[in-house]
Amino acid sequence: MDYGIELRDQEAVVRLRGRLTFNDHAKLRTLIGEMGQNKLRRQVLDLSSLEFVDSAGIGMLLIAREEMDRAGKQFVLRSAAGQVKRVLTVAQIAKIVPIED
Amino acid sequence: MFNPAAHDAVRPAFQNGLPDDTPAMPDASRDGGAKVAVTAELLSTWLGFADVQRRTLDIVQSELTRTSDHVETSTLDLSERFRELAEKALEQSERVAQIVAMAGTVDLDGERVPLDTLVVGMQDVITDMVTNIVSLSRHAMTMVYLLDDVQKDVAELEKSIGDIDGINRQTNFLALNATIEASRAGEAGRTFAVVAQEVRHLSRSTGELAERMRSKVTAVVKGVRNGHEILRQIADTDMSPQMLAKERVDKTMDSLVAQTTHFQTVLRTAATVSSDMSSTIAHVITGMQFQDLTKQRIEAINDSLAIMSAGLGELEARIRAQVPPGIGAREPQEWLNQLMGRFTLSEMRERFVRRLLLEGTALDENGVLDLDVAGGSGAGGDIELF
Repeated sequence: MDYGIELRDQEAVVRLRGRLTFNDHAKLRTLIGEMGQNKLRRQVLDLSSLEFVDSAGIGMLLIAREEMDRAGKQFVLRSAAGQVKRVLTVAQIAKIVPIED
Repeated sequence: MFNPAAHDAVRPAFQNGLPDDTPAMPDASRDGGAKVAVTAELLSTWLGFADVQRRTLDIVQSELTRTSDHVETSTLDLSERFRELAEKALEQSERVAQIVAMAGTVDLDGERVPLDTLVVGMQDVITDMVTNIVSLSRHAMTMVYLLDDVQKDVAELEKSIGDIDGINRQTNFLALNATIEASRAGEAGRTFAVVAQEVRHLSRSTGELAERMRSKVTAVVKGVRNGHEILRQIADTDMSPQMLAKERVDKTMDSLVAQTTHFQTVLRTAATVSSDMSSTIAHVITGMQFQDLTKQRIEAINDSLAIMSAGLGELEARIRAQVPPGIGAREPQEWLNQLMGRFTLSEMRERFVRRLLLEGTALDENGVLDLDVAGGSGAGGDIELF
């Protein structure tokens, strides 16, 4: 998995690409740190280019939400598709994290 | 005396058999006791007709009785079969109703649980399972991050112990130098030599402590690395396929409920149809009571025919008593042919022939006219019907 951060007026958009699995846990921790450091209140994870997420990846997304919560920031998941969207739906992540199309 | 229709039916033969020179009987109409002239041929013809008529009436009566009996036996048999059919249809309807009642539920520890309740329960269980997987994944990843930090801290600790070793080596070196310098100073340095010696002892103790700490820290590092590795393996076990299995289970459950509902609908229709069949058959059985009425009618007809036959016989006997012995009965051949032509059913025709032509002959005396014998070919007649 790799990612790119785009800082807009109202929100920081982080675009994830490829497969988010356990092996990316160090990278994701760095990303969480970067999201916590930028000034924008609204942090959006764009999942449209993410092809696959495993259960560890779902755990990491929830940790990201906790960290953003702790930093007083809003955390949003956006444009999930395919397997990622199915897993998010089955896991009822929308009950914990706002999901936008 | 005769049924007009029957009379019409035989008229052509009768007319042909009658001589044209029938004398008018004006006197007889006025006076019943007066004598009139009748030709021997006419008398002979009448006697022949009377004989055939009487026998025919007998045959008709016995055929009517036979028909009535046949209808009665068949109707009873049919009624019985229909009753069985109605009972079976009712049983079927009950059985199907039982299946309908059972189809929507499942036996769980002796309790009937509605299928939809069961499905919702199972879906809840799976939802809980998925929620647990998500929660476990989150906790596992939190632990992974914590142990990442612990590993960094422990590495710092190892480095610190190394630092202590360095400091200790320097201390030891300084203490050694101090001892040398103290011995050079002689008596004045004696006290200082003792202090330097103590510092060396202290340094050795510090070195031993650092060593003990190193061995403990090494054990902790080993333990943490093992734990970290096990946790990595746990967190690296992807449970997303198990989570996605919920989709398939949900679909399967929905399909199961839909299928069961469909079966119930079909079975309910089947139960209604069976029940309707049963009541239709009951109506059919009621309808079979026409046989009772038919039997009574045939009995009444037979009674009338018996009276007619008796009257004819009596009249025939009276006339025969007044007829000179030389005049015999002339067989009405054409009329007989006409009658025979009516009996197309071979079994019935056989009985007719026996009764009409052979009664009173030598064959009759030999038992050929026995009705049972005639009835023996009944099966042949039945087959002809089909």
